[in-house]
Amino acid sequence: MSEEARADEPEPQPRPADEVDADRVAADTVAADKADDDKEARRAGWRLIGATIRPERWWLATGILAGLAWTAARVTIPLLAAAAIDEGILKSDESAVVRFAVLIVAFGVVQALSTGLRRYSAFRIALRVETNLRDRLFAHLQRLHFAFHDEAQTGQLMARANSDMQQIHVVVVLLPLTSASLLTMLAVMVIILIKSPGLALLVLVTLPFLNVAATRFTRKIQPVTLELQEELADLSGVVEESVAGVRVVKGFGAEPLQATRLRREADSVLERSLDAARLRAGFIPLVDLLPTLSLVAILWYGGHQVINGHLDLGYLVAFNSYVLMLIWPMRMLGMLLAQASRSSAAAGRVHEVLATEPAIVDVTGSRPLPEGPGEIRFEGVRFGYGGVAGPPVLDGLDLTVRGGEAVALVGSTGSGKTTVARLVPRFYDVDAGRVLLDGVDVRALRVRDLRRAVGIVFEDTFLFSDSVRENIAFADTEASMDLVERAAELAGADGFIDDLPDGYDTVIGEHGFSLSGGQRQRLAIARAVLADPRVLILDDATSSVDPTKEHEIRSALLEVMAERTTLIIAHRPATIALADRVVLLADGQVAAEGTHDELLITSPRYRDVLAQAEAAEAAGARR
Amino acid sequence: MRGGGGGPLGQIAVDETLTRADATKVLRRLRELLRPYRGQIALATLLLVSQTACLLAGPALVRYGIDSGLGPGDGGALNTAAIVYLVIAFVGAYLGRLVILMVARVGETFLRDLRERVFRHLLSLGLDFFEREKTGRLVARMTSDIEALQELVSVGLVMFVQNALIFVGAIVVIFLLSWQLALFVLVVVPPVVIASRWFRRESNRAYLEVRDRIGQNLATLQEGLAGVRVVQAFGREPAVTRRFRGTNEAQYDAHLETVRISARYFPFVEFSGVFGTALIIGIGGWFVNRDIVTVGTVAAFVLYLNNLFEPVQQLSQLYNLVQQSGAALQKLFELLDTRSSITERPGAVDLPDEGPLQVEHVTFGYGDGEPVLHDVTLPVAPGERLALVGPTGAGKSTLAKLIARFYDPREGRVRFGGVDLRDATLRSLRRRIVVVPQEGFLFAGTVRDNIRFGWAEATDAEIDDAISALGLTERFDALIDGLDTEVRERGSRLSAGERQLVSLTRAALADPTLLVLDEATSNLDPGTERTVEQALERLMEGRTVVVIAHRLSTAERADRIAVVDEGRLAELGTHEELLGREGCYASLYAAWMAAPAATG
Repeated sequence: MSEEARADEPEPQPRPADEVDADRVAADTVAADKADDDKEARRAGWRLIGATIRPERWWLATGILAGLAWTAARVTIPLLAAAAIDEGILKSDESAVVRFAVLIVAFGVVQALSTGLRRYSAFRIALRVETNLRDRLFAHLQRLHFAFHDEAQTGQLMARANSDMQQIHVVVVLLPLTSASLLTMLAVMVIILIKSPGLALLVLVTLPFLNVAATRFTRKIQPVTLELQEELADLSGVVEESVAGVRVVKGFGAEPLQATRLRREADSVLERSLDAARLRAGFIPLVDLLPTLSLVAILWYGGHQVINGHLDLGYLVAFNSYVLMLIWPMRMLGMLLAQASRSSAAAGRVHEVLATEPAIVDVTGSRPLPEGPGEIRFEGVRFGYGGVAGPPVLDGLDLTVRGGEAVALVGSTGSGKTTVARLVPRFYDVDAGRVLLDGVDVRALRVRDLRRAVGIVFEDTFLFSDSVRENIAFADTEASMDLVERAAELAGADGFIDDLPDGYDTVIGEHGFSLSGGQRQRLAIARAVLADPRVLILDDATSSVDPTKEHEIRSALLEVMAERTTLIIAHRPATIALADRVVLLADGQVAAEGTHDELLITSPRYRDVLAQAEAAEAAGARR
Repeated sequence: MRGGGGGPLGQIAVDETLTRADATKVLRRLRELLRPYRGQIALATLLLVSQTACLLAGPALVRYGIDSGLGPGDGGALNTAAIVYLVIAFVGAYLGRLVILMVARVGETFLRDLRERVFRHLLSLGLDFFEREKTGRLVARMTSDIEALQELVSVGLVMFVQNALIFVGAIVVIFLLSWQLALFVLVVVPPVVIASRWFRRESNRAYLEVRDRIGQNLATLQEGLAGVRVVQAFGREPAVTRRFRGTNEAQYDAHLETVRISARYFPFVEFSGVFGTALIIGIGGWFVNRDIVTVGTVAAFVLYLNNLFEPVQQLSQLYNLVQQSGAALQKLFELLDTRSSITERPGAVDLPDEGPLQVEHVTFGYGDGEPVLHDVTLPVAPGERLALVGPTGAGKSTLAKLIARFYDPREGRVRFGGVDLRDATLRSLRRRIVVVPQEGFLFAGTVRDNIRFGWAEATDAEIDDAISALGLTERFDALIDGLDTEVRERGSRLSAGERQLVSLTRAALADPTLLVLDEATSNLDPGTERTVEQALERLMEGRTVVVIAHRLSTAERADRIAVVDEGRLAELGTHEELLGREGCYASLYAAWMAAPAATG
């Protein structure tokens, strides 16, 4: 039965890996064409980041000013130290020494205050951007139509709101921090150049290598890290299946066999780790060595200049400090460049989601739902999940459900039963024809009104990690306790709710109390009837209920359905019997209609469908 | 910019901290485990100390260059200083390279061995252990815990030791250069140490909070996405969005708290550095004037200051990593200390090739719990086919587990061919007695790999023989790549029936004398069902079989039926005998007949 429902719902199926591999190969060949799209996506990503930063512009200004102050203070301090040595210590002028020392402390205070401020603003802006963007993304996703969510995988959307946001965060942090660092670098270079051009050349010639080395290292280590991750995943796969299948392992005495497999995986991990270590062993010492070479150059060349009287001794010391100041900006620049590409791609992906317009929205001049008995009419409805171009699920469907009537929709897999139900609350818009509720095209109604008027119980009863009460009162959080209890009673849920540890306040879900399928089902029904909808849709609502318990729900349903238009998607005869009329769907149209008994006699197709459903269910139950 | 690493990037929060006593114990155990590597470790340490010495030599050479070269205007002395500095820089870099390679080799080899050791130990543990512990936690021991150690080995360890050496080394060197000036400089160190400890503690606390809030926010996000259809059906988008905003802002607040903490710490540290410089210059200048120190010494001190501050910050950042690794090691040691409930006795004997199975007065309960089997006595003759029937929870599966010695009885004994299973070698036990579980559990690999699981040393020909013995040659040939078909994780590429067939072939290859079968409850499509049944029939031929029967037909076909009820052997006899007795079996039979096929 779950198979059948799946065919009705365009739930994206996980694809076999072969297909994905094939796609990847194909993707590589068209990579060139996609490069332009990629560039465009990145540009859109940057625009999105820019637009999200804009409200934070005062903090940004603060951060940049603080960065300027920080740079100025930091660059001045070695100059003061140099002056202290040259003017004070070497000339034995103690008051000058004290004066400069005090000045150094004063600049130290400026440096400290500004570094706090610039860091605080950088991180604050980034957090604000991340948080706002995530907020916006979530709100947008909540508004996006069913068809979008059918296509998108939850995991993918989670990644948009999680890892992609982090990528954006990182680049927003790095931008102001790196710009201050770059400023420092610039100032330092200028000072060295002015004081001793020859020395500047010697010092600066080694530093770019640092950047080159860092870039090369990153490029080389990335694939190794990736391989290592894969090896680790394989290894944990062996562990996982050995633990899960421990009975089999022990039953056959296959412990040594599994241990050998693990050893093999562990050896691969070892090899990859050593590969990574070799790369690090080439890079990390180099990172220490290159600045040291600059220091040697300062000592030697600078020293000779001092001896020759071209340079003051104090500057020799100052230059040492400057070289140390240059290391970080060099490395951060590399980091920023690498990060910028990752972040803009991430922002591009987020932008793509945000740029998707919700398809189901109120039309201009939409009107409130008039009073009515809840009559539903399908007129020449054509609909397919692939849009107008795709194959139709419904093709010229005409169907009228009178107000207060209960109609069972029956059909084989893929006949469009669920689709019919989903067009009523306008989860999708028809491709042709129209769906009318009490004489008004559903597209002309305010979506909110329409959905309030239609209560639906989905096949997979999704409940929220909340109290029972909040779950029932989902449609209307303001609903009084009386109303909640009445809904529960109608759905036949009051009995078990009273037995729950905290009654209606019992928290259910992943971190709370876990309910049986039937109990969840009844809560879903209570949720659907709380707002007293005009139309009630039961999408295979009894399917997850144990057949022996079904009669309990059935009596509840009878009460719920009274004086309400009801669409029941079902395949169990007992559930079908709840309806006044049965509609058999086939080939996207109504194939036959009548009472259950009539159809059993007149329609061989109806008999087939029921028999199939029974067989499927029997298999499912045994499974 | 050395304050660059204090943000939320690459932070580890630790919620398990080791007590001092635990840490001592962990260290002692670690020392034991590392004993085989002690030569290499000593060498690596020596190299690391030498490398640190090279690093620390720099400022001292600058001092020499200034005092002996610049002061008297001696270009030769300056050249000497520069050349020595250059050589030492290269030597230091080379030593650094060696250190990284050696530590990686020792550390990663150690981890590889630790992985294997923990895994072997894990597999040697009794089934009771696996039924007690959650799969996820056991897998975590082998993955996240060891990976925490891996991070320590690959980056943390060298940095940690080296920073400690630099810090201590720098203090020693500045005292050697001028103890007077060193005393003044040391004034700035304690505040920085204290601040760093404060920072580590506070940021750890704050990051734990961030982690929690991220978790909550992700949960809301996930729920909002998974339930988006329900949300829209009930028109609740605004409320759900509001709720998300709440958890999202909570995450922001927690994060901002970490920013506030580092916005206090980093300014302090930067200021301390500058203050130290001012102190060295101020005091140093005064000392130079009185000929207590030279200008070169003052310059060297300014340079050494960096070597005092950096390590303190680095150490405080690395501390969490070390803590985390310690906690991981402790958990691994705990696992290694768990004793297996099923072990081989010294002087254990091989089980005989054939013989009767005798369950004698067996009483058994899981852990310290109530007994689930009471005084069960059940003899099974060689070649006999015995069906165990009874209601769910009666103790059938438990009895089967005792027969395969997945557990040892509390009282009584299980014998095969006259040998108490507890006195048998585990290897011979697993050869003679094989359990085929309900659903065919497959491992990643080919069909052939999975069959070979029954007997690791089997040749391909023997595998083919086992397959043809069950009459499955054509069936397996029909798979996409025949026996070389990759079954993927859990055999997801095969159908349920095919998985069962592989599982049966595996048992055929193992060729046991006694087969313990837990009959599958799931039904297959009629075609496969027949193939499985035929294969099963062939597998059982000529073997002693104990089968947990879920189907009437299976019970009927058995030589004898044992009815287990509430942990006791209620009835024992042939199908006809038991029906005639009109007891437990007769009523079970009646219920079976009445139930529709669907609930079989």
